[in-house]
Amino acid sequence: MLDIINCQIEAKTWRITLPDIHVGKSELQVITGPSGIGKSTLLHWLLGNVPEHVAISGKIMLSGTDITDWAIEKRRVGLLMQDVYLFPHLNVQDNICFALPKRPKLFSSHHGSSKKQRRLEALNMLEQINLAHLAKRYPQNLSGGERSRVGLIRSLANQPQVMLLDEPFAALDPSTREQMGSWAFQQLADQNIPSVMVSHDIEDIPASAKQLCLADYNQKK
Amino acid sequence: MAATIRRIGLASGWLLVSLVSLMPILGIVVGLWPPEHITFADIGSFLGYQGLYTSVFMTLFSAIFSTLLSLYIAFMVYSQYHLSRRLQSFEKYLAPLLSLPHLAIALGLVFLFSDGSLFFADSGLPRKGLSTLIIAIVIKEVPFFLLIFSAIGRQLPIKYWLLQGKALGYQDYRCWWLLVFPALLKQSRLALLAATAYTLSVVDVSLLVGPNIPELFAVSVYRWQTSFAVGDQALAFWANALLLILLAVSVFILYAHEKLAHAGCKVLATKGSHFYIGIINPVFRAWLPMLGVLTAMMVVVFALWSLGFNLHSDSFDRINSFGLTQFSTRLWQDEWLFFALPLQNSLLIGFFAGMFGVALALLALELQRQKGKYWPDYYWLLAIILPQLSMVLGWQDLHIWSQGGYNIGWVILSHLPFTFAYGYLVLKGPFQSVEPRYEWLAASFGYSSWQSWWQVRFRLLLPAIFTAFAIAFSVSIAQYIPTLMMGAGRVTTITTEAVAIASGNQQDLIALYVLLQSILPFIAFFLAALLARGFRGSMGGVDTKGDTMGEDSVRHY
Repeated sequence: MLDIINCQIEAKTWRITLPDIHVGKSELQVITGPSGIGKSTLLHWLLGNVPEHVAISGKIMLSGTDITDWAIEKRRVGLLMQDVYLFPHLNVQDNICFALPKRPKLFSSHHGSSKKQRRLEALNMLEQINLAHLAKRYPQNLSGGERSRVGLIRSLANQPQVMLLDEPFAALDPSTREQMGSWAFQQLADQNIPSVMVSHDIEDIPASAKQLCLADYNQKK
Repeated sequence: MAATIRRIGLASGWLLVSLVSLMPILGIVVGLWPPEHITFADIGSFLGYQGLYTSVFMTLFSAIFSTLLSLYIAFMVYSQYHLSRRLQSFEKYLAPLLSLPHLAIALGLVFLFSDGSLFFADSGLPRKGLSTLIIAIVIKEVPFFLLIFSAIGRQLPIKYWLLQGKALGYQDYRCWWLLVFPALLKQSRLALLAATAYTLSVVDVSLLVGPNIPELFAVSVYRWQTSFAVGDQALAFWANALLLILLAVSVFILYAHEKLAHAGCKVLATKGSHFYIGIINPVFRAWLPMLGVLTAMMVVVFALWSLGFNLHSDSFDRINSFGLTQFSTRLWQDEWLFFALPLQNSLLIGFFAGMFGVALALLALELQRQKGKYWPDYYWLLAIILPQLSMVLGWQDLHIWSQGGYNIGWVILSHLPFTFAYGYLVLKGPFQSVEPRYEWLAASFGYSSWQSWWQVRFRLLLPAIFTAFAIAFSVSIAQYIPTLMMGAGRVTTITTEAVAIASGNQQDLIALYVLLQSILPFIAFFLAALLARGFRGSMGGVDTKGDTMGEDSVRHY
């Protein structure tokens, strides 16, 4: 569960005071609003990437724990952007391996085959979504839809406690976007992951999602 | 009629840039063309030459080791300042820092840290030795690689890779090594090769601060090349052949290193292993400020020596007693008659070689743009990835054969492939990043293609052109072998004089010439920066074509 409490985004000329937000397991919270209003900024703050051009205050609670001051790498927050930034020097399977949770140090040092096990685990994940045939391909040889799918699977491989989606399907053609959207939301719901998505395209938003328009809370200084 | 003139113009342009870009190949082919008296039997005496194997090994080792050490240090420095605004401001100071020639850095180290140093007595750095040479090369190459990384980094989504990596639970330093390093390494191939080729065949620095027994291979090659003895000529021929083999071996080693590093990063990435080496990265945050201080100290120490401040004479005591009033410009006054001509030659050669080099680089870029296809960088940068000694030998043979006489025109011609290569390197990114829609817009207002090129593209590129000129000028100032061999000693420059004087023992005189050699590029960069301020243009180029050495990169001469 994700709770955003007393969140305030403040720029030179405007200020947004958000109501408290609660995103339960399997739920999708969509943040909408015009360009430049701070949607992505809010998302990056949730990720732990402190924005420089605005000031954000508030508290982020993840499953009851205050993670506001935690470093990105400690949060276990998944991120899916328009360009999923698959690492170009790793093939699809290794991209997923990279995301799999690290073994405890003691455990991994005694397991020479951990690399093999991780690869098997990654392949299993790909098989579950019928993408095993892409395992050995490099990102540059994937289509836009394939890249998005692999990107989501990579994020899920990390077993995130919450997933952040920054206009993740904006670069896809309309039919792929629809197909990919319903597939992705189903995956997130199946794994009980609360998600926050930023979008300015209402067609991307599933009917079951909760919506919050930042423009409604915008105040000029 | 107009179409015919245009075709002739294009053909002439291609001919011109092809001639300049193929000069290195021509030099290598002629330089390695076996003279009549050379036989395979000479290989025996060459291979049996005393100290050859040690010399070759030391040369190869210093070339590879200094290059890779520079690469790793530069990467760790880059990982510290890439995303930091405060540290990014250092980037603009890199170019003038890099303008200090290799020779000045090498002698600066000697003046600062060797026996008899003004500031650091008994620091243990030998006056001549492999360690001194390697340290000098590394100091020079680290900023070179930093600018290469900076140029490559603009094309890569490093910020987002780091963000993804951190979101997946990896610390910052792990992300740098596991995600960014493989990409940077792959795109730095040409830079690595250029740095290695430079160290393999550098004569002036090896001669002055490299080891003596045995001397580095490039020094032997040059000695044999310039000897009149028939036996030495045979040795020179086979040595040049070996120099090319060493280059091939270096390519192989660099390639193997890349594969190994890539595989290592991949294994660590897929294993999700605990990997701590990058934890030392923050230490390298101090590198750039230290380099700035070191460069300033080198210039100061040269100035002090040239003004008669000598720790080992009683002037030191006089200074302590009477303040700084004992500084004397006597040496400058006495030496003016001697350095006036070399200084004038340096300025003339640097100006014309720099100007022609940059103009030809622009021409090469424009011709490729019109053709719609850019040739690989390897082709245009042959002058800096092939051993200089062998190619200049070929040019010298052609020069003697043509009975061209000895004047600065030939020296300018011999500098041209180098100034062209660096001009190309600096201009490629900004040139490609100029938004073509500006020219379309100009065309829609009725401007001809030439008018829109001149009034739009050229104007936008002016800041980059000034920087390219400053770099090309500095490249020309630092040239030793081409000046010496094509000028046959009759065209003297500050660099040839500095090397000649540095072979002696008069420290104050050495300091004066090296100071002059250091000041000229500084002045060029200062003027370029001043001129560039008046123009708004495109310096932040994006080069999306494969391997690159970057745009506003690079001083490597």
